[in-house]
Amino acid sequence: MARADVAVVGAGLAGLTAAIRLAEAGARVHVLASGHAATHWAPAGIDLGAVPGAATSQASIEQLARMPGHPYATLAGEVPAALAWLRALLAAHGLDLVGEALDPLRPIPTAIGATRLAAILPDGMAGALPEWAPDETLVVCGPAGFRDYWPAGIVENLRRAGTWRGAPRPARIEAITVDLPGLAGRHNLSSLDLARLFDQPAWRTVALDAIGRAIEARVHGPGRVALPAVLGLDDHPAVLAAARARLPLAPFEVALVPPSIPGLRLFAGLRAELRRDGGRLQVGEAVHGTIGPDGRVAELRAPAAAREFVLAAGAVILATGGIAGGGIVADGPGALRETVLGLPVEAPDPGQWLLADPFDPAGQPLEAAGIRTDAQLRPVALGQSPSVLAGNVRIAGSLLAGMHYLGQRCGDGVAIASGSLAARELCGAAR
Amino acid sequence: MTIAEIVAEATAFDTPATDAPVSIGLSADECLKCNVCTTACPVARVTDLFPGPKYVGPQAQRFRLGSELSPGSGHLSLVQSPDQSIDYCSGCGFCTTACPADVKVAEINNRARAALRSGHRPRLRDWLLGQTDLTGRLGVLTAPLANWSLRNRLFRAVIDRMIRIDRRAPLPRFSARTFRSRLGGHRRSRWSADAPPAAASVVYFHGCAANYYEPHVGRAAIDVLERNGFTVIVPPQVCCGLPLISNGLYAQARDRARSNIAVLAQYARAGYPIVGTSTSCTHTLKAEYREMLDMDDADARAVAQATWDICEFLLHLHEEGKLDTDFGPLDRTLPYHAPCQLRSHGIGLPALDLFQLVPGLRAIDLDHDCCGIAGTYGLKSEKYEIAMAVGQPLFERIQAAGQDQVACDSETCRWQIAAATGTRLRHPVEFLAEAYAAAGA
Repeated sequence: MARADVAVVGAGLAGLTAAIRLAEAGARVHVLASGHAATHWAPAGIDLGAVPGAATSQASIEQLARMPGHPYATLAGEVPAALAWLRALLAAHGLDLVGEALDPLRPIPTAIGATRLAAILPDGMAGALPEWAPDETLVVCGPAGFRDYWPAGIVENLRRAGTWRGAPRPARIEAITVDLPGLAGRHNLSSLDLARLFDQPAWRTVALDAIGRAIEARVHGPGRVALPAVLGLDDHPAVLAAARARLPLAPFEVALVPPSIPGLRLFAGLRAELRRDGGRLQVGEAVHGTIGPDGRVAELRAPAAAREFVLAAGAVILATGGIAGGGIVADGPGALRETVLGLPVEAPDPGQWLLADPFDPAGQPLEAAGIRTDAQLRPVALGQSPSVLAGNVRIAGSLLAGMHYLGQRCGDGVAIASGSLAARELCGAAR
Repeated sequence: MTIAEIVAEATAFDTPATDAPVSIGLSADECLKCNVCTTACPVARVTDLFPGPKYVGPQAQRFRLGSELSPGSGHLSLVQSPDQSIDYCSGCGFCTTACPADVKVAEINNRARAALRSGHRPRLRDWLLGQTDLTGRLGVLTAPLANWSLRNRLFRAVIDRMIRIDRRAPLPRFSARTFRSRLGGHRRSRWSADAPPAAASVVYFHGCAANYYEPHVGRAAIDVLERNGFTVIVPPQVCCGLPLISNGLYAQARDRARSNIAVLAQYARAGYPIVGTSTSCTHTLKAEYREMLDMDDADARAVAQATWDICEFLLHLHEEGKLDTDFGPLDRTLPYHAPCQLRSHGIGLPALDLFQLVPGLRAIDLDHDCCGIAGTYGLKSEKYEIAMAVGQPLFERIQAAGQDQVACDSETCRWQIAAATGTRLRHPVEFLAEAYAAAGA
């Protein structure tokens, strides 16, 4: 049995934001997570919102805040302070975030040669943000044998009409594949392998030189080079600096399929911060608990060797993710279940869960399924009289009802805003 | 629930588990191929010889599943793995904990490794490393000679060449006497109806480490338990079997398990908690007999239910308000490493919670995944350098902390870290015993 002031369930951006802010305030925090997903999968840009008709993240937030039932309706005001806090935290770990909520949303290339809208990115990826000048060349450059990043295919897609969403596009788009040292004939080359190689100063010097020479042989004049997001894991700032110094074009990283190296860097920074502030992180098993007759959750339980692990806590934050993150599961048609406390799930009618087009830009209606809360993020009953269901519980992140974190690109903003608010709500209770 | 209530549940096990656990092998079907397990793997981080848990685990499992899918087949009748790289898995278990889809990656790999070796005569080295009872007994009998030999460079070079135990690997010193031989006779007695009452007694599972190498850890455990009013019973016991499981010798491991269960189940059913100082032994009693050796009978479940790692037990005692918290001051900063096996328990970090009760003791969590040794893995010549590379960040953190003593719950980790850093490694319970002593009688 263990004891904490606040138990946080989920180790994604929302859960870790809440946990660190509570630990900073002196609370005894214990994070339980069934595994790693959100941080290890996501590209690590901070998406606050990107909706049709909005030119900036801030305009998107304001538009979403006017939608009845959207988390931003109560959280929009939290976003600026939460972003400033995260920016300062990450900068202390050499992980600068570039871009502001008022900056224009711009199309940035993806690893399949599509584009997505972004405004706030890690330093290593941010080179994709400035508007393309009329004489600029975009070089898509990747290592030979790396199957998660195929320059020729990416370039073919990026050259298609419409890819750049009407924004200015590079004058020329070229593909370059480079043989990097020691990788000839290598199978199963992963982003992790490459990132760890770039962490080695001797290897990266040779590799960056090979990339530099390949670009110099093909491209003259201004431009930028899109590299896979593998420029170092533990030593990323040094790798990025070396790449900027050696390469003839300004480099930027393109996010890949999981595992996400920028996401791992983000996680490492957040984890180090949590440890520094005395918080615990325990990963491995699915957590469950019950709401007592007094309307409070006194303890959480998780399977452990031979018997359950019990964590007694004064308060609980659920940041387990939505239908994609595992915080909500579908046991069958129409049967949605919140996995930790069995809270009622607000969801569209079963017949309207999914649209005919799986890639509909609006996102799938089922994404909006989640837990309805009051303004203090406490879970409430569904229907006409939304009474509070558990007074010492707060909901954070994409478990909140009413958001389309894919279609509206608001997941990170809701995560840091709700994580921050939940932490502030519980700071008093924790003492 | 109190300890007594939890242990009392052991009496309720009269039939084998009816809720058959989800097949370890079939859990591979949940794999999303997201590679989060590979990001958590300490071995893949440092060597190309191991492609990572996803590739040798859920991905290779499609080549192995044929027999498991057919009705009534045993887990070990799997077809062979597609290659031998799975031998480089150290069994630390971080892949399983990191997996967001609940795939039993480490367990899949352990079974596949055993299958790879079944039907072959084991390597002499692997067989020998599994026989901790035998080597311990012989080593204690000949302690001066054995210790001299194991520190003799020529002898170690010959051993390295002949059976491939690395000449640089951290082998512990044999004690001059076993822990058991130092105990009073009453404590070593077999089960009998007139044993001291269960409510105020604890069964101590010392394991091979405390018996043959570190009797002081066993002594500290007894001191701390007696300080809290318990009569400590040390019944006959053999090696828990984990070194055999790790080296793929499942049949021998089942023999050890049967011996231990036969003795311990009597105590478990009579309501005695079973407490151990070796996190790997206690994890084996709790989980591996049932999950890895398929010994999921009523007695095995009773033993698992009654077993506690000592820090877990003491912290639970504290939650019940029954731990003597009259600790004297220990004025030191204490770096603490949580071993892989402790994390597999899923019980948090009870040693750190207990350290907070000791005045003046400032424990710091080193927060590194694995020291590299993984039981007997890092002793092997072909794996020694991998193990050292896995532990290197931990060793650097310990050097940076600049303290002469470090706490760690698992013996093989202690030996590895002590050899690599030149610091003194001690079990958490030794610090608690010291703090009690500092408070006076």
